[in-house]
Amino acid sequence: MKWLTLAFLISFVGLFGYVSADLPDRGDPHAPANEHLAAEFIKLTAEEVEIPNIVSAILADFRGYDTLGETIVIFTAGLAVLLVLQKGYKRDDGTP
Amino acid sequence: MTERHDSVILHFVVRVFMVPFIVMFGAYVFIHGELSPGGGFQAGAIVASAFVLARLTLGIVHSSPRFPTRILIWLASFGVGIYVVAGIVPMLYGANYLDYSSLPTAWFNDIAEHHRTARAMGVFVVEVGVFIGVFSVLVIMYDYLTLRFQDENDD
Repeated sequence: MKWLTLAFLISFVGLFGYVSADLPDRGDPHAPANEHLAAEFIKLTAEEVEIPNIVSAILADFRGYDTLGETIVIFTAGLAVLLVLQKGYKRDDGTP
Repeated sequence: MTERHDSVILHFVVRVFMVPFIVMFGAYVFIHGELSPGGGFQAGAIVASAFVLARLTLGIVHSSPRFPTRILIWLASFGVGIYVVAGIVPMLYGANYLDYSSLPTAWFNDIAEHHRTARAMGVFVVEVGVFIGVFSVLVIMYDYLTLRFQDENDD
């Protein structure tokens, strides 16, 4: 069983190595991922938002709904911890 | 996890060097969030790590009075509220939800004598909300996960 897993993993490494030859270079402006929205975001950040960090502009402005959802997810996680552990758990010295 | 460690060296290093430096670094990462890599999420995690370090070494009894858990719960709600309100305010000016370009920020540019677009101001306000929310939620999680279970008959 151990050797089967090892052979499986090695075949995957070979597959990934074979496929990675076809990947575009890092930072290639003509890669398919960089041709659709990236150019638009770079242009609009310089024209309308005027902050140097494009990542922040995308995070908080162009993708504002997404970040709102992320913040609410974190808030909900804290709320769930609070609600689950609120009852019955106390400090040894009684402080809240 | 929540007791005070009675070591002078540990207290000195944590109180004088580690916690102030981490908080200052978090503030740097937050303020430079729109100039260089950084932002609300990262700065919130960094500042929360400083508070968790203080609670670990100085003990929860000595370190929590300045930021007790009940205030942090208010802060977490307040941070998410800043974000939601920053989305609603543009609607009062006739734009879409979270469309900061219609925010009235001309008065700020007059005071600061600096040109900032309304969308840059909106990005900063949103980052403030994210920072407060992430920071307080992480410290709340630490506070509640270190509670001990006690049977109600013990009281």
